[in-house]
Amino acid sequence: MDWLILLPIFLPSLAGIVLLASSFYEHIKYGQTDEKKRKSVHLFSGAVLAVSAAAALWIAWRGTGSVTLFYLMEDIPVFFQVDALGSVFASFMSIVWVLVAVYSFVYMEHEGNEKRFFGVYLLVYGVLIALDFAGNLVTLYLFYELMTLTSMPMVLHNGSKASIMAALKYLFYSMCGAYLGLFGIFFLYKYCGTLSFVAGGSLDSVLAAGNEGILLAAVFAMLIGFGAKAGMFPLHAWLPAAHPVAPSPASAVLSGIIVKAGVLAVIRVVYYTVGADFLRGTWVQAVWMALTLLTVFMGSLLAFREPVFKKRLAYSTVSQISYILFGLSLLTPVAVTGALLHTVFHAFIKCALFLTAGIFIFQCGKSRVEELEGIGKRMPGTLWCYTFASLALIGIPPASGFISKWYLAQGALKAGVGIFGWLGPVVLLISALLTAGYLLPVTMKGFFPGHGEAVSAEKQEAKPGMLLPLAVLAAAAVLLGVFPNPLIQYVSRIAEALM
Amino acid sequence: MAFVQNFPFMSIILSLFSGPLCSILSGRKAKWVNAAVIVIIGGMSAAVLGFVLGTGQEYVYTMGHFPAPWGNEIRVGVLEAVMAVFFCVIMLLCMLGGIREREEEIEDTKQNLYYIMVNLLLSSLLALIYTNDLFTAYVFVEINTISACGLIMIRQNGRTLVAATRYMIMSLLGSGLLLLGICFLYDLTGHLLMSNIREQVALIHANGSYHIPLLVAVGLMSVGIAIKSALYPFHSWLPDAYGYSTLSSASILSSLVSKGYIFLLVKIFYRVIGFDIVRDSKVINVLFVFGIVGMIMGSVSAIKESNIRRMISYSSIAQIGYIYMGFGLGTTAGIVASIYHIVSHAATKALLFVAASGITEVSGDSTDFFDLTGAGYRNKLSGIAFTVGSLSMVGIPVFSGFISKLLFAQAGVGVENTAKMLPTLIALAISTVLNAVYFMKTVIRLYTPEKKAVLEKKEFKQVKMTEEPAKSFALICFIVLNLFLGLSSEPIIRLIENGLNMFA
Amino acid sequence: MNLGNLFNNYGEAVAMILFGIGFSNLLLQKNLIKKIIGLNIMDTAMYLFLALKGFIGGRKAPIVTDGVQSVEAYINPIPSGLVLTGIVVSVSVTALMLSLTIRLYRRYHTLDLDEISTRLRKEGL
Repeated sequence: MDWLILLPIFLPSLAGIVLLASSFYEHIKYGQTDEKKRKSVHLFSGAVLAVSAAAALWIAWRGTGSVTLFYLMEDIPVFFQVDALGSVFASFMSIVWVLVAVYSFVYMEHEGNEKRFFGVYLLVYGVLIALDFAGNLVTLYLFYELMTLTSMPMVLHNGSKASIMAALKYLFYSMCGAYLGLFGIFFLYKYCGTLSFVAGGSLDSVLAAGNEGILLAAVFAMLIGFGAKAGMFPLHAWLPAAHPVAPSPASAVLSGIIVKAGVLAVIRVVYYTVGADFLRGTWVQAVWMALTLLTVFMGSLLAFREPVFKKRLAYSTVSQISYILFGLSLLTPVAVTGALLHTVFHAFIKCALFLTAGIFIFQCGKSRVEELEGIGKRMPGTLWCYTFASLALIGIPPASGFISKWYLAQGALKAGVGIFGWLGPVVLLISALLTAGYLLPVTMKGFFPGHGEAVSAEKQEAKPGMLLPLAVLAAAAVLLGVFPNPLIQYVSRIAEALM
Repeated sequence: MAFVQNFPFMSIILSLFSGPLCSILSGRKAKWVNAAVIVIIGGMSAAVLGFVLGTGQEYVYTMGHFPAPWGNEIRVGVLEAVMAVFFCVIMLLCMLGGIREREEEIEDTKQNLYYIMVNLLLSSLLALIYTNDLFTAYVFVEINTISACGLIMIRQNGRTLVAATRYMIMSLLGSGLLLLGICFLYDLTGHLLMSNIREQVALIHANGSYHIPLLVAVGLMSVGIAIKSALYPFHSWLPDAYGYSTLSSASILSSLVSKGYIFLLVKIFYRVIGFDIVRDSKVINVLFVFGIVGMIMGSVSAIKESNIRRMISYSSIAQIGYIYMGFGLGTTAGIVASIYHIVSHAATKALLFVAASGITEVSGDSTDFFDLTGAGYRNKLSGIAFTVGSLSMVGIPVFSGFISKLLFAQAGVGVENTAKMLPTLIALAISTVLNAVYFMKTVIRLYTPEKKAVLEKKEFKQVKMTEEPAKSFALICFIVLNLFLGLSSEPIIRLIENGLNMFA
Repeated sequence: MNLGNLFNNYGEAVAMILFGIGFSNLLLQKNLIKKIIGLNIMDTAMYLFLALKGFIGGRKAPIVTDGVQSVEAYINPIPSGLVLTGIVVSVSVTALMLSLTIRLYRRYHTLDLDEISTRLRKEGL
């Protein structure tokens, strides 16, 4: 049954390629895609996605199995292995991916070229699942690059000059990052003897003895490199460029899911290849913590000053992902638990926020924050969902963000990392205040527009096909905070096993 | 002696004499003769490869039964045979891909002359690969230069004439230096056969005498060949020569001619001087530095270029830089990476040239970047092929370029000298990103739909796969070759290592 | 460094100087004809060098004369053979260069390569 792992990888990839080829063909034949067949495209991609997601979830919850695909070089296989961490990532990615797909069925009418979009959408899903279950660093790298390439068409969907520039920027940063990662892989290969993931790391202390300096530099390069995808300073600038031009569902998954691939890669490198013990107390840990805290603060501050709604959310992603990376950099079980929890929560929350932004654009064509005054009168349901998701992101109990931030702060205080022990929680707190400062005004102005504003009281609620996924995501964001125990237990078991 | 052992000699002679034969044939017939010659030689080289792999050791073929050190010799090992087969395959595909362009761009009365040049080029390439005699190598280097010059200037316009003149001047400078280096070595050792020189050089080196003349000889030969193969900064002729000559010339020149010289340099390093001595000399450091500068500057020029053919040509300069950087590392792993890159770049660059011609064909024969908008929809196969080539150049996994970057990086990490390790990796990183910038920019442009109004105004045509079966076939073969090199590189790397062991 | 060596091997020294002259002419001259002259000087310097290598004082050219078969009577024939081959190569290359020059001159009425290049660039071809 291990071969079933390949189903959620290859089925959506192949289906995506079929859709792309068909769109390509129509483009040549008619000069444009046939917009009449959108129902059948939806049906097809929905069915493929449902089957693949079901298979992915089944595999993830079964929790074992491995498949070797082929040998890239003599002793470097490309193979997939299911483990607890991969299962967590695959689960939340699948759920969010399906929900956003439902939303896109309605939304993408507005953007056109649906066949191409869904082709790419399915393709990226296949690559992501492959990334989650990658069994060694080379497989991870391979699918990491493929993910960059396949997700790039999402950014340049509308084909405008701005979107092409943004896509190139995205590509540029990701390639830079991936190359730094590859550079590290060679070093690790030399000193680890294997590139397969082993919980707790596989560094050969005999081989590494005397070469710590260069190894640390390699690991640092990998952190910066894979951190590029996760929007860590200094390679974070692609995020705010890519999000505003992409269609909203694409920005939602870019921000909620694809940046998590960077997080996954960092975890795989630090905890599954090098091992936490090797980094503890070194300059790499210190610099890494400093960079993440800087990113947390800077991201929030930039978001606070940003008038374009989607760009504001993009900066918010920059800041929030660095919460996760900060948790990882502390190298303690509690902090890693917090980081993993935040990974899951942030996926739901940020997707919900971007879907809201998409609804505002779709229904009223409004993309700047100051245009959103009084929006709550027109679409109260949407704004309520937005509000719940915002509260969760800020970390107001009992919503989910509170739980993860609590663990992060606890982890920081107990980690024994000197000045960062208290600096971390302080920055997190300031950033939480800033988060409130940039998210909540939309709610307040939305429900209580200022005086003198001629508010059209006409109700114009979002279509159910868009509102439903949004509501599910927002509800998940809150409810995961109310009933967090099963998830916390599962995740903390992973974290314990890593140390 | 097995009959197969005659094949290397026979293939050189066959292509050498089919050249004059073409001069009395009509263009059409010459085309068939040429194709047949390439196929036959490819088959013979494959048989030789099988034979050498079977016996597991190299063999020496004495010409005219004069024993060494007086006679002239051919020496065949695994690496030589692999290269011969590979060069034949690439040359055949290049010739297939450029049929339409040749018929349009070359005057009818000169069609057969083109095939003379190609046949001579093939014979000189084979001779460079097989010969065991330095002076023979020099003579065939000159024949190679002359026939390459013919390939450039057969399409008569001002640019190609100037490019051919520049090419000749640079090449003559290079071969002058090469000849001087060979004379120095002859002066030092009294031999011209590579294996005999090697023995004497080892003796001289062990004595510690003639240290400087030896260094000078190695330096002269390396620089001479570097100039001939367009290592930065000796590349000024290259963009025009590749950019304006007819399609099959451009692809053959970029993928084979410069590679033939580089292969000769590998032979000089391993079989004439001995790799240990080369490593101890400072010459490879010079090659290393110029290689790295070339990697970066070639890509930078490519980014600035708006003519797609010239852009691909500039990218060649960067790729030549990679190869010399691999030499400069001074390890066997570096040489293996360089040789693999010779193979992978030859396959990819020819693919790009052929695909680019398919793309410009549907854009009103304009090579300007902005006219290519949406060309990927108008000529499907070329669009896909160009994308494959670009991804391979950027070094995306699954394609051949990734494997060569992997090998370069591994070689870089394996080098003990940290002063070389970091520049290698950093240069690889920068050049990867720069490659990504201009190739992905082009790919995106190819798949950005053109506005309807523009399409109607310019009346671009559409090309189906079946309209030009030869080109389509060549493109498909190139794509398959590229994927093959990317997915199952292991046997080829094994062959290269095996061949290098036979060299040493 | 012993400068005396330079004077003892004055032939080689002259050959190298000539090579330098030819090389720099080929590289730096603007006029194509002068470039070709430089090329020929360079090649001739090589032949001088090779001939010196094969020369042994007091012996004859390696052509059997008067039935003398002894090896001792003749100079080393290999460099002479190399020189002959080199001359053939050089002649063909020179011919090719000259024909190119004629082509260019007929089209552009100048022998300056850089000027032709700038003119081409201006025409935007």
